[in-house]
Amino acid sequence: MTELDPVIHAQARLRVVASLSTLGEGDKIAFPRLQELLAMTAGNLSVHLRKLEDAGYVEISKTHRGRTPATLVRLSRRGRLAFEEYTEAIRSLLDLTPSKEQS
Amino acid sequence: MDLDDDLPPADAAAALRLIQDQRSATARRLDPDARLLYWPWGVAWLVGFGLFFLRFPPGDSELVRLPGWLPLTVLFALLLAAAAVQAVASARAYGQVTGDSARRGRWYGCAWGLGSVSVYAGTGQITEYLPHDRAGLLWSATAVGLTGALHMAGGAIWLNRDLFRLGVWISVINLVGAIAGPGWHALVVAAAGGGGILVAGALARRRQRERQRL
Repeated sequence: MTELDPVIHAQARLRVVASLSTLGEGDKIAFPRLQELLAMTAGNLSVHLRKLEDAGYVEISKTHRGRTPATLVRLSRRGRLAFEEYTEAIRSLLDLTPSKEQS
Repeated sequence: MDLDDDLPPADAAAALRLIQDQRSATARRLDPDARLLYWPWGVAWLVGFGLFFLRFPPGDSELVRLPGWLPLTVLFALLLAAAAVQAVASARAYGQVTGDSARRGRWYGCAWGLGSVSVYAGTGQITEYLPHDRAGLLWSATAVGLTGALHMAGGAIWLNRDLFRLGVWISVINLVGAIAGPGWHALVVAAAGGGGILVAGALARRRQRERQRL
């Protein structure tokens, strides 16, 4: 599985990207909500989001909701494309190597 | 299962399972249970307009002896309760998501609020010149007509065929009830309208479950 995108091909980041991919293309989610959905610690999620941001896969914006600052996360177009390609690659791997546990 | 690491999934099957599990878990949390969005309205119409029919049926005599203020009070109380349930369910699901979807929802909500106010302002002006039964028909046919049109619009906004069909159904039964006349309108809206919303809620829930399994 060497040709798989190394940014996404890590359990934690794959979960982050899979989660974000369920949002509409123009939608952003608040950091604490994403953290809750993924059941990850804030520090851990931050680390993975930074890696995804460095790759241009997620966009992070700071804003204000009333007076409280809020961090919003969104899957970029590039990130969405990378996730779709990754999923395709995984599917074709499964088609080529039919495994016993395939359900 | 500890996933707080940089390790790749064990194999392709594990990766695919992880994607599917995560997507369906997220979709379940970010999508309010469709039954909460439909059924309270269906119950409100069924009970509220049902009481209205029993108290003010076609003709002069009432079918069931009820205070005159009861049907409308119950209808409004149930409609308010349905709005509250919908607001809470939506806020819990979409509360922390912003962007295009939120804007769509907000503007659609404005269409309901402002649309109702502007329509009723006109209706209120002529109510006093109508006999009681005609005034009742005017109000309910206008309200149900607006509801049908906005459901169709909602179907167009979210490209949701079931929502659009519900709007068509509500519009058609409203037409039938309005032609049938005072009294009958309430019966048609209670049975076919309220019942239609309950069925639409069950269908929407089924589709939602299919979607969330993906």
